[in-house]
Amino acid sequence: MCAGAGQDVGRSCILVSIAGKNVMLDCGMHMGYNDDRRFPDFSYITQNGRLTDFLDCVIIRWVRPFPCPSPFCLGCFLCHPKNSITPFLRFQLHFPYPTEFFAVGQVDEELEIKAYYAGHVLGAAMFQIKVGCESVVYTGDYNMTPDRHLGAAWIDKCRPDLLITESTYATTIRDSKRCRERDFLKKVHETVERGGKVLIPVFALGRAQELCILLETFWERMNLKAPIYFSTGLTEKANHYYKLFITWTNQKIRKTFVQRNMFEFKHIKAFDRAFADNPGPMVVFATPGMLHAGQSLQIFRKWAGNEKNMVIMPGYCVQGTVGHKILSGQRKLEMEGRQILEVKMQVEYMSFSAHADAKGIMQLIRQAEPRNVLLVHGEAKKMEFLKQKIEQEFHVSCFMPANGETTSILTNPCIPVDISLGLLKRETAIGPLPDAKRPKLMHGTLLMKDNSFRLVSPEQALKELGLAEHQLRFTCRVHIQDPRKEHETVLRVYNHLKGILKDYSVQHLPDGSITVESILIQATAHSEDQGTKVLLVSWTYQDEELGSYLTSLLKKGLPQSPP
Amino acid sequence: AGYGQSDGNEILQLIPPPTLLTKETQGLCPERDFKVECGGFSERPVYSLKYVPDTSLLVTSGPPNSSLQVWQVSAEDSDVIKSVSTLATENCTGQSWAKIDTISARAPWVLHGSRLDRVQITEVESRKSVYTAASRGSEELSGLAFLDCNTLLLCCATGRLCLADVRQPQSLVEATPVPPAPCSEHWCLGSRHGAQTSEPSSQPVARLSSRGLLTLTDLRKTSEFLALAKARVPSPGSGAEFLCVSWAPALEGCLAISGFDGTVHVYDTQSWDSSGREAEPIFVHKGHAFGGAAGSEELPLVTVHTWHLQKPRTLLSAANDGSLHVWDWVQPCGKCG
Repeated sequence: MCAGAGQDVGRSCILVSIAGKNVMLDCGMHMGYNDDRRFPDFSYITQNGRLTDFLDCVIIRWVRPFPCPSPFCLGCFLCHPKNSITPFLRFQLHFPYPTEFFAVGQVDEELEIKAYYAGHVLGAAMFQIKVGCESVVYTGDYNMTPDRHLGAAWIDKCRPDLLITESTYATTIRDSKRCRERDFLKKVHETVERGGKVLIPVFALGRAQELCILLETFWERMNLKAPIYFSTGLTEKANHYYKLFITWTNQKIRKTFVQRNMFEFKHIKAFDRAFADNPGPMVVFATPGMLHAGQSLQIFRKWAGNEKNMVIMPGYCVQGTVGHKILSGQRKLEMEGRQILEVKMQVEYMSFSAHADAKGIMQLIRQAEPRNVLLVHGEAKKMEFLKQKIEQEFHVSCFMPANGETTSILTNPCIPVDISLGLLKRETAIGPLPDAKRPKLMHGTLLMKDNSFRLVSPEQALKELGLAEHQLRFTCRVHIQDPRKEHETVLRVYNHLKGILKDYSVQHLPDGSITVESILIQATAHSEDQGTKVLLVSWTYQDEELGSYLTSLLKKGLPQSPP
Repeated sequence: AGYGQSDGNEILQLIPPPTLLTKETQGLCPERDFKVECGGFSERPVYSLKYVPDTSLLVTSGPPNSSLQVWQVSAEDSDVIKSVSTLATENCTGQSWAKIDTISARAPWVLHGSRLDRVQITEVESRKSVYTAASRGSEELSGLAFLDCNTLLLCCATGRLCLADVRQPQSLVEATPVPPAPCSEHWCLGSRHGAQTSEPSSQPVARLSSRGLLTLTDLRKTSEFLALAKARVPSPGSGAEFLCVSWAPALEGCLAISGFDGTVHVYDTQSWDSSGREAEPIFVHKGHAFGGAAGSEELPLVTVHTWHLQKPRTLLSAANDGSLHVWDWVQPCGKCG
């Protein structure tokens, strides 16, 4: 169920019901709105009643406007529409310091969550949610191309029942990274050369670090002197975490880290608010990335009037933000208090967003080998082609639900069943020797008791459950053409059967009936036709096989007797 | 579109980044990425793809025979390019794939043929054959084009160049044969971009051979060569499958050639004469050779290139490694006139 994000960018929220567990995936916010529309529509999930009672677990990856306690506490919080993050203590998960590329956490006895490294940004992860033998892999943003500071996303061949993946950029074919970076450096260099100031609004985590490394190296190579500043606060904090969790980052960085801390830059210094008014060229990284508030917006307002300056938007901007307005070409902005800000500075956009594009999505599917794929985040009509492509290439079903729409996926779970030793021995004694490569049909009674499955012999099942066995008898009429007396016919049948069924006990009882093991055969004269005798063959359910054999044998008639 | 032998060929319609759509480059270029507008799946390899003007149809052609596939580019509600019909050509089995060109004059037409004696025009929608050329030999065609709605240009792999008139199926004007070659050559054709105007073409027709020989012919005077030159291309004999020569739509006398290796060469033909001297390219695009993954063993081969319709110095080129490059070129200083 998609309560947000389905065919929409921003308000990401997905509810997964898996083997009786309800897990909420993400609870993102739409940056373009300040009212209720900012949050996912929870009424899709439950109309009345508390959301918290309904959910077993909430997984939130990197809540943008709020600093997470740590990018690695991929924790369980519950986002209330009341604008606060309340720790959802009951199920709070703490991943251990990651020494490996993934970590496993157990929410309760049945619900297991495994986090995979997703590239893109430290702390962004892909999750495998596993209940019993059913599993879902959920990934929001991920990056299949390695960066300077982060490796590419990676997942093992975990063959989940469902892979939920973002597809915002599913129709995008990426420009080569090298071209983009070269253009970025060229533009920054040009502006600095002519004495202008460059503002780069960034989000706390992710791109900023990448761009810093890029600029640092360029400054070093070109021997540039203009200062590069890093806005204080979140970004510094993020760098702090990067330093702490260097093990997650790129191999190359890890190596150089031993000699020198890659994140302790030579040219990049902490920014102070007063620096914005300094004369001369400079480059400033400031948060937030969409110019909707905070330091980046402050600096933007100071610098916007000078055509020598430049602002480079390195990411996506949601509608309604200042970032989006200037990108769409607006040159006169209405700020609060009816104040008009004229934008004379150069506005550039350098998409460094590392969201997986169409190729990346295919790569991830190839890695994980899911049985079903669900696409979220994209725009509905543009995903039809990708859906077909996924279905053709991987032979799996692909879904793309709209908000409020529920997709049900049938799974083929393997349910382990214990078999009693007695039954196993008995069953293997019959027929050919067991062959590990061939499946073998076994008969037994399935007992589902106390959350366990056991296959036992029918007798044991009856005993355990304290039930009496029911007798089920089948009776079949067989017509035989024989003009002789009734008892003579019976005698003929008896001799015939005795002749054929040599290994069975065939008896002629004094009351005129015949028994073959437990099967009873009686003869009566046909009321209308004296030449026809009717044989009643009766057997129990347990002797079904022999019973039907006898019936078919008798239906063939008796052998011609000597005259 | 893909051209592999497997059944996984895709046809993609891409939206270029906005920078490529505007005539003037503005300071702001919000996106650099191409977007998939719609796509389709083709079971057979696509060797040639033409958009049918004034319709939402595509015509494709490719092995194993000379039949054509017609595709409907997505409607409002879907982004899937759907196969509409197959135009089976007479006796189409056992022939090489058909070269195609489209026009929308009296009706949407497709000109197609794999051999000189099998050139036809078919109405795309009604699938009615409206023209069949007179048989003048069974040589394999390497290219054909509408010069206007009545005049057809046909080029054989042997270099034979013919002009045909739709109104007179029997007529066929033949141009000067190409210079004889010591070994077998493959020729391809480059005519004026598009066929919108009805005036007789002043733009010469270019022919390019697999040895790198270029001939220019004025169609008003087909009895002689306008110019003859030798392009500086690597070793001859490197397959002729992807030979491509094209005229710049907005720059007088400029043409580009590709199909020899991972490069696209741009030449200025204005200084050429009929001597057949080796010509100096004014620009060589080598991007495809460097763009690939580092350490890849084989150099990519440029499969096709085309000029941007509005931006005079912008070209698009694709290579067999799946890369698509959009690039500008500048004339080296000192040579600018």
